[in-house]
Amino acid sequence: MPRRFVASGRRLGTLAGLFALSVLLWALTPHFLTVSNLLNVFEQTAINAIIAAGMTFVIISGGIDLSVGSLVALAGVALAAALQSGAPIPLAIAAGLGVGFGFGVLNGLAITWGRLPPFIATLGMMSVARGCALLFTEGRPISGFDPGFRALATSRLLGIPAPVVATAVVYLIARFVLSETRFGRYVYSIGGNEEATRLSGVTVWLHKTLVYGVSGLASAIAAVLLTARLNSAQPIAGIMYELDAIAATVIGGTSLMGGEGGLGGTIIGALIMGVLRNGLNLLGVSSFIQQIVIGLVIVFAVLIDTTLKARKT
Amino acid sequence: MRATSRVFLTILAAAALAAGCNRGTTQTSGGRPRVALVMKTLNNPFFIDMQRGAEDAAKRMNVDLVVQAAERETDVERQMQIVENLIQARVSALALTPSGSREVVPAIGKANAASIPVIIVDTRLDAKAAADAGVKTVSFVGSDNYRGGQIIGDYLVKASGGRARVAILEGIPGHETGDSRVRGFRDAIKSSPQVTIVASQPANWERDQGFNVFQNMLQAHPDIDTVFACNDIMALGAVEAIAAAGRTGKVRVLGFDAIDDARRAIAEGRMEATVAQFPDEMGRSAVEAAVKALKGEAVPADISVRIGLVTKDNAARESEKK
Repeated sequence: MPRRFVASGRRLGTLAGLFALSVLLWALTPHFLTVSNLLNVFEQTAINAIIAAGMTFVIISGGIDLSVGSLVALAGVALAAALQSGAPIPLAIAAGLGVGFGFGVLNGLAITWGRLPPFIATLGMMSVARGCALLFTEGRPISGFDPGFRALATSRLLGIPAPVVATAVVYLIARFVLSETRFGRYVYSIGGNEEATRLSGVTVWLHKTLVYGVSGLASAIAAVLLTARLNSAQPIAGIMYELDAIAATVIGGTSLMGGEGGLGGTIIGALIMGVLRNGLNLLGVSSFIQQIVIGLVIVFAVLIDTTLKARKT
Repeated sequence: MRATSRVFLTILAAAALAAGCNRGTTQTSGGRPRVALVMKTLNNPFFIDMQRGAEDAAKRMNVDLVVQAAERETDVERQMQIVENLIQARVSALALTPSGSREVVPAIGKANAASIPVIIVDTRLDAKAAADAGVKTVSFVGSDNYRGGQIIGDYLVKASGGRARVAILEGIPGHETGDSRVRGFRDAIKSSPQVTIVASQPANWERDQGFNVFQNMLQAHPDIDTVFACNDIMALGAVEAIAAAGRTGKVRVLGFDAIDDARRAIAEGRMEATVAQFPDEMGRSAVEAAVKALKGEAVPADISVRIGLVTKDNAARESEKK
């Protein structure tokens, strides 16, 4: 299976990149390779990694979701408002997740029923969801929560920060769904050839709609962690998070053309970004140069993707 | 295999570039204390001045300085990451301009846990959030933003003869800095019933938003004759909007911060007044306070940096002094 071989080869490439980067940082600063710093990096990567997991579903299906950052804000303020009104923590979280999933499904319906290109539908949602979050909160952050809720970001399980555990659980479930369920296989086949999938009797619109629901849900899970981490939900949270999530997915080797890629690459992609930012901070590199470096890594990762594809055909 | 080596090389090259660009500025030399200054952003001259002041003080006091900032002022989470990473890098002291008065509190908690003294610069922490979380800071270095709002409000009452229709461009909602400036301004004009506020909306500290929001305000209220923007960047956006509406000279523009562009605009008559803060003094005092704290010397809990009105009379003079 040459195609499969190429895909896993690319994953190995990304993994080697992460490894090389880590070795380099280890050589440059004594503060990088310590248990506490590595846990710190994993914890910082959690939010982007979880959003990127949802983004991976969307991109494999041949779409894009620009609304994730705004959905993080909207789900966050919904959750925070529920908490402040005295709702029990699980119920408040359910409210946040429900908002994320619901708005994600709206994206999906605009794309399937409304036949809008995903770029346009989710671009519109990016603005609508942001506006809803601002309107709902009158522009002000909602802050100050119960320690029980904050524990979602601050507690540790066997020494591992809770957000890292949450990321692991999300990825295990997402991986199962993507590779072991019929829905997961349809996501690939819709991204590979939507028309052929439809002709083989799959209810494409339903599965496509669900893909955006999954992405909204992932954003909402990230919103729970973000809100607990900052002890505050801001209506202006998550600005440009969509770009970080797309970058992690693409660095991880998922093709923007759809039909190929996977979550293993995405988590490595998210870690590369997290490790880069962490390392550049540890080294005290100027913030301006940091942006250049991160931009270059994204561009070159995609360059590799396209060169490989050109060689394949 | 070729793919593997290419990714490998890319990342190596990128990181080497970063390390190369950076040589000499970050190496801790011979156990000198390393002070970190974490600012909101670097895309505002205010913070560039603050950085300059901090660098002066660091050089004079013989300490290493690391300056970091998030790309966007709204990105509190990123600021928290920077603080976490600097804690991992074992900086000796941390000076911080909070991107969110409440949201930054957990990050300060982490610095407390690592026994790193924290100095808050420019924007106060939310007192309640800080107290609830039990976080400790050594000192606050900054101008009295409420007083600054009053100064500009008093100026307006005097300059307008007690008769004005005012639009306010606020900062990011919930930010202590902007909120205090607006409060000071409102309190100063309270006693003049003919000075009325016809519109007040956030433009999130940004120039393009200042432009758009004020353009819309002018559409809705053509009788606006004064705009008070909570920072000069937004005020300069409003200046452009006024020019676009062909009303240059008919709307009094008041800003805050006295950045160089605003001083120039005042000298040229496009803006009328602003409040001078001295961010370079803030940066300098913050580093000095950090060094004192590291030596175990007493540091005042509140270090006030001077503040003053800038109008056409002193716009040029002040900017020469820099």
